[in-house]
Amino acid sequence: MLTTVKDAAAARRAVLATVKERKVRWVRLAFVDVLGIQKSVSIPANELEDAFNGKVTFDGGSIDGFVRGEEIDMVLRPDPATFVVLPWVEHDQVEARILCDIAMPDGTPFEGCSRTTLKRVLEDAGDVLQAVQAALEIEFYLYELAPDGTPTTRTTDAGSYFDFSANDRGQEARLDMSGALEAMGIPISSAHHEHGAGQHELDLAASGVLTMADRLLTVRGVVRRIAQRHGLHATFMPKPLEESAGSGLHIYFALGDIDEAVRLHAIAGLLEHAPGFTAICNPTVNSYKRLVAAWDAPVYTVWSHRSANALVRVPQAFGDEPPLLEVRSPDASSNPYLAMAVLVEALADGIRTRSLPGDPFTGSTYELGDRYRAEHGIRQLPKSLRQAIAALDEDVVIRGALGDHIYHAFRDAKLAEYERYRKAVHPWEREAYLRTF
Amino acid sequence: MHEENVAPARPLRRDRSETLLAYAEALARVAASGGGAQALAAHLAAAIDAAVLVEDAQWRHLAVAGTGERATPPSVRDLLPKDADGDEAVPLATPADSHARAFPIRAGEARLGWISVFPTGSRILEDRAGLIRLTAAQIAVELSRDAGGGRGRRRGFWDRLLARAYEDPLEAKEDAQARGIALAPGYVAVAVEGDGLDETVAAQKNAEIRRVCLDTLGTRTGDVVVVERGGGFFFLVPAPLEVDAANARTAATLIPRGVQRSGLDVKIVGGVGRHAEMLHVAQSVDEAREAMIIARRMFGGGRVMPYDDLGVYPLLHRTGATREDWRAFATRVLDPLRAYDEKHQTELVRTLKLFFDVGQNIKEAAALLNVHRHTVFYRLRQIGEIGRLDLDSPHDQLTVRAALAVDALDG
Repeated sequence: MLTTVKDAAAARRAVLATVKERKVRWVRLAFVDVLGIQKSVSIPANELEDAFNGKVTFDGGSIDGFVRGEEIDMVLRPDPATFVVLPWVEHDQVEARILCDIAMPDGTPFEGCSRTTLKRVLEDAGDVLQAVQAALEIEFYLYELAPDGTPTTRTTDAGSYFDFSANDRGQEARLDMSGALEAMGIPISSAHHEHGAGQHELDLAASGVLTMADRLLTVRGVVRRIAQRHGLHATFMPKPLEESAGSGLHIYFALGDIDEAVRLHAIAGLLEHAPGFTAICNPTVNSYKRLVAAWDAPVYTVWSHRSANALVRVPQAFGDEPPLLEVRSPDASSNPYLAMAVLVEALADGIRTRSLPGDPFTGSTYELGDRYRAEHGIRQLPKSLRQAIAALDEDVVIRGALGDHIYHAFRDAKLAEYERYRKAVHPWEREAYLRTF
Repeated sequence: MHEENVAPARPLRRDRSETLLAYAEALARVAASGGGAQALAAHLAAAIDAAVLVEDAQWRHLAVAGTGERATPPSVRDLLPKDADGDEAVPLATPADSHARAFPIRAGEARLGWISVFPTGSRILEDRAGLIRLTAAQIAVELSRDAGGGRGRRRGFWDRLLARAYEDPLEAKEDAQARGIALAPGYVAVAVEGDGLDETVAAQKNAEIRRVCLDTLGTRTGDVVVVERGGGFFFLVPAPLEVDAANARTAATLIPRGVQRSGLDVKIVGGVGRHAEMLHVAQSVDEAREAMIIARRMFGGGRVMPYDDLGVYPLLHRTGATREDWRAFATRVLDPLRAYDEKHQTELVRTLKLFFDVGQNIKEAAALLNVHRHTVFYRLRQIGEIGRLDLDSPHDQLTVRAALAVDALDG
């Protein structure tokens, strides 16, 4: 305990020294709401020490999923490990960013804090998952901006998977993004063009799960910002165009040096809880336009070594490295902390209950017949946000991971979103019915 | 009476009738104390200075005793003369122990099992044979009483099912229901034995093996049924769906790890039968037993092998495999590759055939196929994945070559 306190104090001192050395003028205290949208409060750098001492508060009643309708001050608790000086300087003022946990005024952790929730889940999973790490493949589109600066879905890029085009503005932007992220201490293991015109992918090398959730939050912000500088709009929207590939967030888990049986249990946990965690990992109505039988998006609770459209893929390991588990259904519209939390909980539950996942599947899952699926216990992932919320309601393990506060806040927000979508009249409907009826 | 057959603690050494009478009284006291077959066997072992093994008619271990100085085989099932019947003791075919005898345990006309004795010294004398018969009679009483109880009634159902005594699934279901058994629509049988068990600790080790197996095979689909046979176990794992069968197979292959983790110094061998409907679970049991034998003989034991993964070996092991059996085997091996070829216009079966025709020479196969050798490697990898074969394994190579040969011979 004493060591931890000493370590924390040393980390804070190191951050304050960096602030001084790099002449940081402003520090952005960042956190996320229950939907994973990044919020921040900027403070002068000389007030960072006060922030470390829990003296920066904000009105929790104004944040989605916190305590709406009530005026309640909440405390930001900056995590020194997440401090980073932003690699761009605007108005000659050096700015830094630090991610925060949220606490109640009395100092107790706030149950609605997504980052704290992930920490809790990781701690709880420590009985069966001691050395879990995550790596990411993040897909996104870069589109042209209209003359008035609003985003379009146009792209001059006609590239496809792994294409190389020296004159491509998207590629230039992607290189800048990679450089900026590396400068912020986020190692990029690869970056390349994806299937869709204007679609790109950044791959993040493995790190601790909490760190990876922090990094995903950072990546989303940096990618959008750098794109803007290139006159482009970056979107992580799961399915911007019907006729193009959707953008996913493939999450790889390295479970360390574990028994092969334990790995099978972990896979089974993912398959078992997949319908339940889909609402969290695919949280928008648009997410379900991607989860269809096309473009290798997963639609069934299947695992495989090679099938590109399996929900969980266990690719052949390199050399003596233990195999990774790739979860292919999530998308980057999810709250990184909650997505990681529910996936870790699913892994841990599979190990605790010593579930087994059935045999690995070979081939394309899109051709699975009803009878085969029934015999092999294969379920379809929810087809809509509404179905996903219903599946979440039924999964007590995933709900337990989220905690009551986040579960209800998330559920309320998403049901409201779904109702707005349900009531909206979409262009397709006018096209299909206006002249017919 | 020969002194070398008399242990110091031996209870009775007067004339024969007194000896028998006193022994019968002592035996009745042991039975009355509720110790069951194990206590009765221990009493006998001490009285005659021999190791004693008691098995029921299905070769389940009921008791092992007196093994401090003498070992017993896991079962006398294969040591009995083929025509062993009647009330008399029969010599056991153990070259190392010409004095070993098995005595039937009878209740009326029915034989409930065998009590086998392995004397420490010389042959079993006539007065000792009397003590053994008395013990057998008392054990028969115990077994008959057990059979009337709930446990016995439940065991009776599984015995009948495994003896293929039911022809109608409805009859089996009704009988099971009457005995308080919840049946699953299908089962997977798993056979497990400790290999080369030191007989002095066999009973204790077997109890541990049983515990580890049940722990590993534990399922959400119902209770695993345990059947003890001939020094080993059969576990009937409920498997309503194919996925449950797949999980049972996987779990079974994990048993040796579980045994290792539990610190048991035992080498395990076992086999897993195929998924069978409830009425045909005996078929799965036969396959599990066969898979266990093959795992021991062809793979050196130390593992639990699914019947489905044994390729050509079950056919080679089985006496009287028909032409149809061989055809079905070839179809099972080659059909997934043929289906892939048809759907994707590939040449996997042709590649495989050529690969073996040229003695597994990649370069020659590539030349004959007019492709680069990397393409041959790629196709072989595809074949391995689609057919779930390891083409580097001599066992799988034999399986594929046999399937190709059957296919070719059939034209």
